[in-house]
Amino acid sequence: MKLRLSKTVAGVASSALLLMTVPAIGLASASGAAAKPTFTIGYEGPLTGSNAQLGLNMVFAVQLAINNANKTHALPFNLKLASYDDQGSPTLSPAQASSAVHNKTLVAIVGPAFSGATRAAEPYYSAAHIATVSPSATAAALATGKKNNNFMRVVAGDDVQGAADAKFLVKTKSVKSLYVIDDGSFYGAGLAAVVAQEAKSLGASVTPNSYPESGSCGGTASASEYTAAATQIVASGATGLFYGGYYCDFGLLLGALNSAGYKGVVMSGDGSLSPALITGTSPASAANNVYLSVAGGGSANLTGKLATAYRALSHFPANNATYAAQSYDATNMIIAALKKVYKAKISVAKLRPAIITALHKLVYHGVTGKLSFQSNGDLNAKTIVDFSQVQNGQIVSVGHS
Amino acid sequence: MSRWWRRPSVVRLASSVSVMAAVELVTGPPGSNAAPMAGVSGSFAEKVSFFGLFASPRWSVFLVYALVLYGVWSLWLHRGRQIRNAASVVLARPRNIAQRGTIRWSAAVVLVVVAALLPHFVSDPFWQTAMVEQIAVYVLLALGLNVVVGFAGLLDLGFVAFYAVGAYATAWVTGALPLPPLFGVHLNPFFAIPIAIALAMLAGVLLGTPTLRLRGDYLAIVTLGFGEIIFLFANNLNGITGGSAGTGQIPHFSIHLASIKYVWGLAPVPYYYLTLAFVVLFVIAFSLLEHSRIGRAWTAIREDEVAAESLGINPLKFKVMAFAIGAASAGFAGVVTAAQTNFVNPSVFTLYFSINILVLVIFGGMGSISGAVLGAIVIQTVSMYLIHTPPAGYQPQDLYIYLGALLIVMMIFRPSGLLPSKRRRREIGLAEAGEGHMDEVLTGDTP
Amino acid sequence: MINYFTSHFDTLRLEFWPLLVGGLASGFIYAMVAIGYTLVYGVLRLINFAHSEIFMSGGFASYFVIRAVIGTSQPSGLESILLIGLGVVSGGAAGALVAVLVERVAYRPLRRRKAPALAYLISAIGASYFLFNLAGKEFGRYLYAYPTIFVNHPVFTIFGAGVQMYYVVVAIAGVIMLITLDRVVAKSKLGRSVRAVAQDAETASLMGVNIDRTIVVTFLIGGALGGAAAFLYGITSGVIYTMGFTPALKAFTAAVLGGIGNIRGAVLGGLLLGVVESLSVAFVQGSYIDVAAFTVLVLVLLFRPTGILGERLGRSA
Repeated sequence: MKLRLSKTVAGVASSALLLMTVPAIGLASASGAAAKPTFTIGYEGPLTGSNAQLGLNMVFAVQLAINNANKTHALPFNLKLASYDDQGSPTLSPAQASSAVHNKTLVAIVGPAFSGATRAAEPYYSAAHIATVSPSATAAALATGKKNNNFMRVVAGDDVQGAADAKFLVKTKSVKSLYVIDDGSFYGAGLAAVVAQEAKSLGASVTPNSYPESGSCGGTASASEYTAAATQIVASGATGLFYGGYYCDFGLLLGALNSAGYKGVVMSGDGSLSPALITGTSPASAANNVYLSVAGGGSANLTGKLATAYRALSHFPANNATYAAQSYDATNMIIAALKKVYKAKISVAKLRPAIITALHKLVYHGVTGKLSFQSNGDLNAKTIVDFSQVQNGQIVSVGHS
Repeated sequence: MSRWWRRPSVVRLASSVSVMAAVELVTGPPGSNAAPMAGVSGSFAEKVSFFGLFASPRWSVFLVYALVLYGVWSLWLHRGRQIRNAASVVLARPRNIAQRGTIRWSAAVVLVVVAALLPHFVSDPFWQTAMVEQIAVYVLLALGLNVVVGFAGLLDLGFVAFYAVGAYATAWVTGALPLPPLFGVHLNPFFAIPIAIALAMLAGVLLGTPTLRLRGDYLAIVTLGFGEIIFLFANNLNGITGGSAGTGQIPHFSIHLASIKYVWGLAPVPYYYLTLAFVVLFVIAFSLLEHSRIGRAWTAIREDEVAAESLGINPLKFKVMAFAIGAASAGFAGVVTAAQTNFVNPSVFTLYFSINILVLVIFGGMGSISGAVLGAIVIQTVSMYLIHTPPAGYQPQDLYIYLGALLIVMMIFRPSGLLPSKRRRREIGLAEAGEGHMDEVLTGDTP
Repeated sequence: MINYFTSHFDTLRLEFWPLLVGGLASGFIYAMVAIGYTLVYGVLRLINFAHSEIFMSGGFASYFVIRAVIGTSQPSGLESILLIGLGVVSGGAAGALVAVLVERVAYRPLRRRKAPALAYLISAIGASYFLFNLAGKEFGRYLYAYPTIFVNHPVFTIFGAGVQMYYVVVAIAGVIMLITLDRVVAKSKLGRSVRAVAQDAETASLMGVNIDRTIVVTFLIGGALGGAAAFLYGITSGVIYTMGFTPALKAFTAAVLGGIGNIRGAVLGGLLLGVVESLSVAFVQGSYIDVAAFTVLVLVLLFRPTGILGERLGRSA
């Protein structure tokens, strides 16, 4: 056995040595002039594991906002990014949150990205009076109760959107018999429930069902479940279908609907509103009867110069990067708040609660629209819901509620 | 066999170059769908410093690495025996000492003392929390699974279910679930410990009784299904478990004794000591079990079930026992997770998680308690280190590429794990010497 | 309770034929993947946990080939048939290549060292983690759909259920490949050596069968079928680096259901699992499809502990 051991050590050691000397290609980080104080903006979200892509979309946008602030604004301080990888998991996020809380230069957090991880991490942040501005955590429970909540989010709640979607399907598209599917996620099930309830009250007959996220999209269910789902939808004679969930599973469902020969109207919410839906759906399956909705501003992407810079930083095309624009805005709101409350020699301990207060007062015109927060951390009510349609491989706006 | 490409030196050279090409690809830049070959070509063509001398494409640097690897490999083949012999002479004495019982026990005591003092040396809050949630909890899970897979030889791919039962049981008795607790009494998580352990063991018995008649891989798929079913129920029974949102109202541990009031907060250190105490408890209990009549029965069943049965051992009884006992430590791990994070939702309890725990056990050394503990500590510490302080040039999203490669390399060079049990070591030693065959894998006539 | 069953049987009666057709389509894909598990199990007595990534690589290879060939054109008729053939072949070739590589890197060194069975499991899990994360790194971590290969429309109806072109394609491709495989294993010299090794490796070796080569052939055939299945699966579900995980898991379940180590068992198990999953949506919420599938598995195993056709590869195929 000893022979084996020494061999293993030699093998592992030599491979480790080689790995260490491998040339570095890391995240680019900006460095500014000396003498100014440096503050850290944290990002918490999944950077490894099956949901890594969403987190990567966000963290590069945060990095971009910070780089731009360091480069273009004449700020009296330097900013840097610290990323905290929670893998989207509620068991890992407390460790990362306590790490962030103890970071001596950290003033605020973009994120956490996932609702479960947010719930597990939030006690740590709120005890340390750290503002957390999430680009993606939509769970209703996160934004209730507290006044001057340290948790805020730049995405809208789902009840407004669901009601508008139901109206669009039943009134505009005259759907009499609606099939409603959700993905069992906090977001998807919540949105689908609102749609089902509203559609019923508008007089349509509603068949609800739930198919969990498939293994292809980060869950564990089989993607062929959608073959069965589509068959049943066709057989039920429903003329309309609403899907509460994310683009990846929606793409799978559309593929299966096409294979099963479904011809009715299909609609989904902002979770599916991503240009990646187009690459993820064959042209035939998304033929002109697919509609998407989003509560004001949520459909925005980084465009123009920002998109170019984002691509250079991340290697991802900006128009595919879900939540990148939201993360960019969240970061800039934090920077704007920090700018307002910064005074020479102010301690981080004083900055943290001051930023929360300043964020609640801030009105910010970002990539995703005009943003300001309610006391509970939700965006100020938005009544407008935008609708769009998939037409010849493009997502085209078709009006609003 | 005289064809030139089959000569050992050529094969060795080709393998060295291939290994380095793989390393090159893994450490290179990422590609994208629009340009799927960009990552590949960049990995080979991108200019880097040639050992600090001049700029040169990556492939040239890696070719040098490949030649170094080839050289070391060849040297090992020719001179390896001498090096090994020298090493064995040097290591013989410490090895003999390490085999003595008293030394082993005192080493264990020293380790426990070190572990107990550890929070005083670890000041980084990330590590303080990770020591509980990401290391100690995994040690508990590995210990439990080791009883099932290592001692009794039952391949369980749904072990996470018992962890989930423990966590949800805690949420239930503390009144955090939509399902009201028994008699409407909201208990302190301390009282959840025995209840969660008992429920996890009960789940072990309930799952084991119908399924443990199956053998080997049939059992693996059925346990996997059981794990998935627990996950699906947790995710969908909104009125009982809170569904995919889970529940966030689990209280912290607290002590109310007459006038003493002490509520554990977010600080992880008390949880660390509690978990450490239970780890020690489980280690002692499991090693006593291993050498008891039950442990010997497990060994007998693992090695030859038919023979064991003919000796009057009831295999089903002992297998169910292994399931229940293994589930106990997983159930306790669930209590710690639920109470420390105040939060449970189903997203944790997936098949990936079960597979990860199995990896810890086999990596550490199946059937060996110290191996399971060490495997959990090593893999989790390395993962957490890479997540917390990513070294320069390492892209965090590539963690699992490296872990995957590590698992393959490890299994090639040390298939019995880091610290294999004595019995396993002997079984493998016999197989290598050509006497008897291990677990029926066809070895073929490779040179 | 009675109400529950009457109302659900009513649903089943209305939707039986369409659900059956959809289920059979999934079933053919499961069956083709399941054969990969069963072949390797028959010969090596181990579960090839990296088979999911063999499937995934077949999907990506055929996606890239089809995308490059189609460009912006709208294929129809003969073009579509040729493209389907191309997809099957490119997926199969990539699957076979990756399967052989996995055998070479993750299995053969362990065989030389006579490692214990669970070491192969870990090494295969390692290979799987390595491969799918590498694919995510190189190809991006998004879902990608194939361009339109053929126009999907009902071809004919059985008992009122329109059978879509997609189902016809899957069924025809599946049946052709399964029959070819059956003939190869039953009649050819390679197939004979595979069966001989599965039955009794030691004797086969004494009779002059090259065991190493036979093992490579086993991986090659299983990989080719898995990769080709990934193409058929991808037409509907697209390709993404994590695509292998659940179809492979289901296929493994199917292989066990039919009796692992038995080729016809794998086919039967695959078709049965696809149909059970599909029909179960008439009774339960979509979330519980897996519960229904595993319940059927447990019931079958309780009565037939080695699966429906639980015999060894060597004796039955």
